Amino acid sequence: MNDKIRRIYIPMTETGFYILFCLRKPQHGYGISQQVKQMTNGEVTISPGTMYGTLSKMEKDGLIEFFCEENKRKLYKITSLGQEILNIEISRIERLYKNSREEI
Amino acid sequence: MGETKLKIRFYTIADFKEEEIWLREEHKKGWKLTKMVPPYFYHFEKCPPEDVIYRLDFRNNKENEDYMQMVQDYGWEYLGHCVGWLYFRKSTSSITNENDGEIFSDNTSRANMISHIMKTRMLPLLIIFLSCVIPNALKMFDSAVSAVFTVFWSLMLVLYIYLLVHCSLKLRALKKDLE
Repeated sequence: MNDKIRRIYIPMTETGFYILFCLRKPQHGYGISQQVKQMTNGEVTISPGTMYGTLSKMEKDGLIEFFCEENKRKLYKITSLGQEILNIEISRIERLYKNSREEI
Repeated sequence: MGETKLKIRFYTIADFKEEEIWLREEHKKGWKLTKMVPPYFYHFEKCPPEDVIYRLDFRNNKENEDYMQMVQDYGWEYLGHCVGWLYFRKSTSSITNENDGEIFSDNTSRANMISHIMKTRMLPLLIIFLSCVIPNALKMFDSAVSAVFTVFWSLMLVLYIYLLVHCSLKLRALKKDLE
């Protein structure tokens, strides 16, 4: 993984994290947003323009790839590079969580 | 088809928020937008008054089927496009949180749209101003030119200065709010 990708994606925005996290299984943009809504009790909503922009950028950077087309909707899934980034991000969040609990 | 009306409104590339509010107000009064004819003509049709959110999305004619499909999946009705802008609307009754009523849910993507407007609209405006309006306006001081020429280029000069100042200040302020 090159430094540039690392710099751009770590730390990740909440939007970016959830999109990448959901794409461990092939999914289309609207499907991701529905899943995220469910996971966060409706607190995180990713609007279409933001969803499309993030998917395009992640595809360009090689974090996700086109999987197939279903009813005129493009499905994406995570790549090994994307999974690598996701793992780094998850350990960062775990550390953050752990440290914040210790403080309390 | 029911009763229709045509309205003319001047909105610059930096006034899209005001345009959205105006269209929402019209719909509340029972007039829904049916068609946009460039540059400033709005066609409306009589409808039951309703609170409907209008959103303008600047894509500069680069939108593709994937994008249109995705926005419509989210429940946005596509109304048409006009000089690079896409017009969408959605009834407030189908909205459960703030971002459901937005095309963009984070400041980065909102700021990206404004940068896109600056690059693809403001820059050409500035180039025309410098390479065409200014040189012609300077010719006014030449005694050989006609009165029509002087009047025309004076108006163009005022118009361009107004547009450049108004749009760049406003877009910059909008972008600053997002940082």
